Amino acid sequence: MRKLLIGLAVFFTLLAIVFSVLPFDTLAFLPIGLAIVFGLLLMQKSNENQKKIPKILLTITALCSAFVLGKTLLVKDEVEVDQTFEQQKIETKQEAKKELEELEQLESDLE
Amino acid sequence: MKKIFFIICSLLLLCSFSAEKSANIKAGEKLVFAGSYNMSGLMTQLAQVTMTTENVATAKNNYLHLSCELSTYSKWDSFFKIRDIYESYVHPTTLKPSLYKRSIDEGGYTKKEKYVFKDNKVTSTVKKRKYPESTKTFSIKPTSIDAVSILYQLRLVDFSKMQAGQTKSYTIVFDEKEIPVTLKYMGKETVKAGNLGNKECYKISIGAKTDALKGKDKNLIWLTADAKKVPALIKFSIPVGTGQLTLTSATGI
Repeated sequence: MRKLLIGLAVFFTLLAIVFSVLPFDTLAFLPIGLAIVFGLLLMQKSNENQKKIPKILLTITALCSAFVLGKTLLVKDEVEVDQTFEQQKIETKQEAKKELEELEQLESDLE
Repeated sequence: MKKIFFIICSLLLLCSFSAEKSANIKAGEKLVFAGSYNMSGLMTQLAQVTMTTENVATAKNNYLHLSCELSTYSKWDSFFKIRDIYESYVHPTTLKPSLYKRSIDEGGYTKKEKYVFKDNKVTSTVKKRKYPESTKTFSIKPTSIDAVSILYQLRLVDFSKMQAGQTKSYTIVFDEKEIPVTLKYMGKETVKAGNLGNKECYKISIGAKTDALKGKDKNLIWLTADAKKVPALIKFSIPVGTGQLTLTSATGI
């Protein structure tokens, strides 16, 4: 039972780290929550001399929680100014103008 | 890739119905939305959608340029960068399209489309990243319009005269074919509308004969119940999940 709990706690702690690093926002709290639950269960099932692993895992998940919370509250969702995209927009507009003029020319030729 | 494609198609199809008469959409309008996708029950913000209008003049005519851009937030760019442009050049008063263009770049997958509207025919030119350019000409209904201009024409419908449950049928040109679309007016609701504050809105359900949209009355749009009819909230349900667009800023309206 304890071995299974170690496996689950380690798995969800690793998942919590991955989700915290990736830009998943509050979605990271799902693996964090599960890591805390299994970490606490592991702590309960451990003897006094076996509590080092759950303590480490719970500390990591607590740090992940703080990191995700900080990111959610402090980092604003912003779109970076993309020079290539801006240039593409200008070129597309110029192309469109030319295409509209060609269409107008075609229409007047038919008239 | 398919997921992103579905989302974008759905967002455009979601607003797929036309107006009864021509009206005036002003140049210089800018609407900014935050696009979120439901991941395991939690809405995660993925991208910003910006809709703008501006005047474009050629040697002979004036057009209204309707543009809809989608860009992922910078935090996502390293993982999956999206830069899409959907644009339409329409008659300034009738909003009838002359040219519709779509340029997508989704995590390296690129596609460019051009639709030239002439009388009751459309000539489409499509170029996918690894495929040769293809051209197709097909007939359309005189009232058919493109996926961007319809988004603006929607705002010309007089919902105040509609009863809850009343429906209307329309046609749009999308993915080189005509798609029938039905809208159902569902009454009024108050929703948050970004910098406009809480606004009473018309709630409209959109149904299209396409696999891109799923569920009955699950694809919804809320338009402010005033003369501007600004889209305040859009919810979509597609085969790969659900999401929403929330208005964050409306300027020049």
